Amino acid sequence: MQPGPAEDRFWRYATIAPALLVFLVFTVLPIANLVALSLHDVKWIEGRARWTPVGLRHYLALPADGTYLAGVRNTLVFAVTAVSSQMLLGFMLALFTSKAVRGRLFYRTVFIIPILIPGIVIGAIWKLMYNFDFGVINQALGAVGIPPQDWLGTQTWALPAVVVVDVWHWTPFCFLLLLAGLESLPQDIYESARVDGTSAWQELRCITLPLMVPTLLVTLLFRLIVAFKVFDEVFLLTSGGPGKATEVISFTIYRRFFTEGREGFGAAMSLVTIFAIALVTILVLATARRRDTHA
Amino acid sequence: MRRGGAFTGYLRSALVAVGVLAALIVDGPPAWAAVKVEPIAVNINQSPWFDGFRKLVELYEKDTGNAVKLNVNPYLGSLEASRNSVRANEGFAHLLVVDNNWVVEFYAGGFLTPLTDLDPRFALEDGVNTYDDTIFWDGQARTFNRKTGKLLGVPINGNVEVVFYREDLYKEKGLKVPDTWDELMANAKALHDPPRRYGIVHYDDRNFVASNFVAYNFSFGGGIFRSPETADFTVTINGPNTLRAFEFYRELGRAAGHPSVGSISQGQAIEALVTGKAAHIVAVIAAWGQVDDPNKSVVVDKVNAALIPKGPTGIRASRAGHWIGVIPRNVPEAKKRAALEFLRWFQQREIQVKYTDFGAVPVRWDVAQSDLAKQRKFRFLPALAENSKIAKMPFPLAEARQVTEILNLRLNEAITGAQSSKSALNTSASEIHEVLRNAGYKTGKLPDLK
Repeated sequence: MQPGPAEDRFWRYATIAPALLVFLVFTVLPIANLVALSLHDVKWIEGRARWTPVGLRHYLALPADGTYLAGVRNTLVFAVTAVSSQMLLGFMLALFTSKAVRGRLFYRTVFIIPILIPGIVIGAIWKLMYNFDFGVINQALGAVGIPPQDWLGTQTWALPAVVVVDVWHWTPFCFLLLLAGLESLPQDIYESARVDGTSAWQELRCITLPLMVPTLLVTLLFRLIVAFKVFDEVFLLTSGGPGKATEVISFTIYRRFFTEGREGFGAAMSLVTIFAIALVTILVLATARRRDTHA
Repeated sequence: MRRGGAFTGYLRSALVAVGVLAALIVDGPPAWAAVKVEPIAVNINQSPWFDGFRKLVELYEKDTGNAVKLNVNPYLGSLEASRNSVRANEGFAHLLVVDNNWVVEFYAGGFLTPLTDLDPRFALEDGVNTYDDTIFWDGQARTFNRKTGKLLGVPINGNVEVVFYREDLYKEKGLKVPDTWDELMANAKALHDPPRRYGIVHYDDRNFVASNFVAYNFSFGGGIFRSPETADFTVTINGPNTLRAFEFYRELGRAAGHPSVGSISQGQAIEALVTGKAAHIVAVIAAWGQVDDPNKSVVVDKVNAALIPKGPTGIRASRAGHWIGVIPRNVPEAKKRAALEFLRWFQQREIQVKYTDFGAVPVRWDVAQSDLAKQRKFRFLPALAENSKIAKMPFPLAEARQVTEILNLRLNEAITGAQSSKSALNTSASEIHEVLRNAGYKTGKLPDLK
């Protein structure tokens, strides 16, 4: 017996309701609260929170916050350099592993080790490696007669040093996704191409790369989102210094919101950042959709 | 006779008992008496001195039969835990142990119960340090003031800055303990032998430079505000004395410091001392726990602590880095009284001597006069007692965290060459002035340094 239209509608709503409820409680409500917070100043008087409406004042104050602007600039530099390096390295490692005749499991295991290490441990490991007096990097340089460098303490080196740690940490993520993509490509195309006498370079440029674009875009999207939210590596290695050399948006939000207790201003910063990340996500997804449509 | 004698005896005993009872009713129990109270929960951070506090709490439970539960969190986690507790309808912690840097947030937010409101007879014992009077809060003037403020807490950990120096190297080179900053500079230069050893290691990174500079700033006659105790928050950070102090601080770092400038944390400076890389550090006494620990230090028994040197004006100042025990207002009265009993017990001299023996930092200066101070292991006690008396609380206002963030950034920028000293101090002054003006303080600022 077929269910009637009313019964059908009931089950449709009943099955979607739990997911909708979770979405409402854990996404919509916190964001709505953040919006309300961003339009107020919060002060604690006699143990009670007093909310004073300030309109758009916090949003208008953002461009005047030099630390936030430095954070935006550094986050962009960080995201672009770290993610592009991870994509390139991850793709090269994935290609190498997919072509390897022997030891594939070994390579796969070794290449993913960094992603298994907790962020706090990574911070400690690299902080020791970068240490001016005892760090293994300066020890190695000393062995070949190069004077020690202050990797985390100079405006020149601090941000690149943090990028290196992020590349080391997250390249395995790109590697895993891209390897899965490579292994799922149809092999008959490669066989036909080989019959036609294509070189390895032509195979990569004309077959592998075009077929891998959806996987590359998804990987890029995931990594960009996480890179824009970078916090732990900066927190552990440099705390945003020296000066503002490694200040990133998440760290500025953390300072304003929690350390300084400026909840309204911190909320405005958070919302602008959420909006920017959403914009990047939409752009990448639109690119992927346009490509699918053309294909 | 016998009956009459027995009766007289009973009568005498009864009179004595009534007298004692009356005395107790009028005066309350003596401070040392164990009073049975409700169990309490204490919010505290996991720090090098925590183990000493834990042992003392165990002693309290044994001595009094009162139960104490410890909610232990990492440094910043304990701030969040205490915030969550005081902002709830009913707090889950009945005694909060808070860092002096955060305490004004709790004072000014009206989250706490003045201790004398709980018991008008409650008072600090004479030997207890007040650390620039940071346990008295004047809600009207919005600052610390012993005369006009209310007693809101009891110090729990007497962390203040001292000069750590390599006593063995001093003997070897025939140096004397520095009395002035210039003498410290001379000693640091004499022991500077990079990369084997640095004369002094500042902790001058983005998180700590404002704190590390406090002792220099105040002892050179500088400051941050004109007269916070009279509610005059005119910003003076860009005054000539502060500039001189900052130039001296930078010169000391350049002449005898670590080559990594502007990126050393407090932990790394302490690490430099215990690994034998630093001949001096100006740091909080809590670091002592590592200095003589053979598992952590290569300089066991080679380091000593000294009074912070005096500046050109003859002033001495040590940065207060203490922790304060406070009682929230949003907990039941019985819990508040129980927390107060703990504080009453905690501040006694003999308890503080035991506290020191357990490895914590005492909050009474007279512990330095106890037999404990004669032991080599506790050779830091005289320096601790002296520095506690000259401790300065640099940020005595509710906006302390904002002011600290500004100073940390600007001073760090100057140290790493992103701007000049004058520009950094002028920028700091303008930014701090704006924060205070927006918050409604009586404020102003000095003309820019040229």
